[in-house]
Amino acid sequence: AQMLHSRPSYRTADLARLMYDEVLTADEVLRRWKGEVEAEEENIEDSEDEDFFKKAKHDEDAISEDRSIPQYDYDQLAVKWSVDDNIEQLRQRFTTANLGGGDDD
Amino acid sequence: MSAPKPEFLKFTGHQSFTQRLVLSTLTGRPIHISKIRPNSPTNPGLAPHEVSFLRLLEAVTNGSSMQISYTGTTITYHPGLITGAAPGFGAIDDTIEHHLPATCTRGVTYFLLPLCLLAPFSKSHMNVRFEGPGVITSATETGDLSVDSFRTAILPLYNLFGIPAARIELRVLQRSCAGPHGSGGAGIVELRFASQVLLPKTLHLNRSPGRIKRIRGVAYATGVSASNNARMIHSAREILNPIISDIHIAAQYDQAPLVPDTAEKSGSKKRMGIGFGLSLVAESSAIGVLFSADVVVPPKGGILPEDVGKRCAYQLLECINSGGCVAGASAGTVLTLMAMGSEDVGRLRLGRNVVGTEEVIGLARDLKKFGASSWGLRDADDDDTGDIIVSVKGTGVGNVGRKIA
Repeated sequence: AQMLHSRPSYRTADLARLMYDEVLTADEVLRRWKGEVEAEEENIEDSEDEDFFKKAKHDEDAISEDRSIPQYDYDQLAVKWSVDDNIEQLRQRFTTANLGGGDDD
Repeated sequence: MSAPKPEFLKFTGHQSFTQRLVLSTLTGRPIHISKIRPNSPTNPGLAPHEVSFLRLLEAVTNGSSMQISYTGTTITYHPGLITGAAPGFGAIDDTIEHHLPATCTRGVTYFLLPLCLLAPFSKSHMNVRFEGPGVITSATETGDLSVDSFRTAILPLYNLFGIPAARIELRVLQRSCAGPHGSGGAGIVELRFASQVLLPKTLHLNRSPGRIKRIRGVAYATGVSASNNARMIHSAREILNPIISDIHIAAQYDQAPLVPDTAEKSGSKKRMGIGFGLSLVAESSAIGVLFSADVVVPPKGGILPEDVGKRCAYQLLECINSGGCVAGASAGTVLTLMAMGSEDVGRLRLGRNVVGTEEVIGLARDLKKFGASSWGLRDADDDDTGDIIVSVKGTGVGNVGRKIA
């Protein structure tokens, strides 16, 4: 979480501004928010190409259905949650955490 | 409502299909959705589950009308009154029966989630029984929750809005996993939603999300050996036990539903929708903070129960790790109820990665289109979790003003 804070993009205020910008799709909003799209100039140049590739893109859209559960790469998750640091960090969110302030203990 | 010809709100795409229809029904604004899978070479237009949902809407409302274009890529929807299972409107023994076709690839929670959003605003009790060859009660590969997660992680949230969850009942009469190729199931599920309210309260869930104090779960095996349950539970516990000790996972073993075999000679029957899966729900010490995870074996098989258990545990950890008071799967329900509830500003603490999903942003945009106010976003600054506090102002869509069409 601290890493997120240090990055200049990914700010809450930015999202509030971008969220209702109807020109962008939700996907674009997110990419811009997370700082994956840096400058707008590139987009203008690419727009012709994008039109050209639109068909393939739409086919991808057709696959993206509404999901309640996001798709995970479980191998990656297994790696992530076998690292002790990650587990220790998550432990703070459990009542078993040794902070002297467990609500139920 | 007073204008003779209200403007159609225009949407494009097949995303958030149920959400838009629900908002349309709640606010009484007609909508027009175009470009529903226009470029799909194999399945253009509405998918079977979407058509099924439209039929369901038609059954629980009175006076709604919809036109679907010839290709199914465009639809106009004129919402009617939400009547629920009112006698004389197609309800048999105060229950509406809804039949899902065998081509349905979505779990029954795909229908339950939006239906439960409509139910508090209904005129009479919302009793719907889902049956037919398309009812999948397990989680699905297409990303639906299982009925167990729905009952234990979504329905309790209605309590927070002054909608007593004690009067909402979800009866699973026949369990079923997804059939071959992921479509069809033949389960039976009955929703009895008797908590109709005048106006749902808004919600202030902006305090600390508390700490996870226990994990509950259901392991289900339908039509396969019950030992799968034990294996899933064992491997999930392997991961979760070092973190928390209060874990109870129930094992549910059922026979697979017996359905007439259409391919064979008349009279023969076959088992349908076999499989197994695991649903885990983590409860926090703060009221109403629930995280859920669901993993099911794919219909073609090939995954060990141990892996299902592990994956489910990992998914649960990931879900808890995303933070906030409401997980991604239930964020839509909570935010919609807040926006439709009393005209108060409610605050909800959400994890940064929960807000930053296309679904939540899409919901914010859709709500605004339907006349709700914009959300306010700010950082939760009382700790370093990086959560975002979303302020949602209700629009006061109550049950009172809804008696006139």
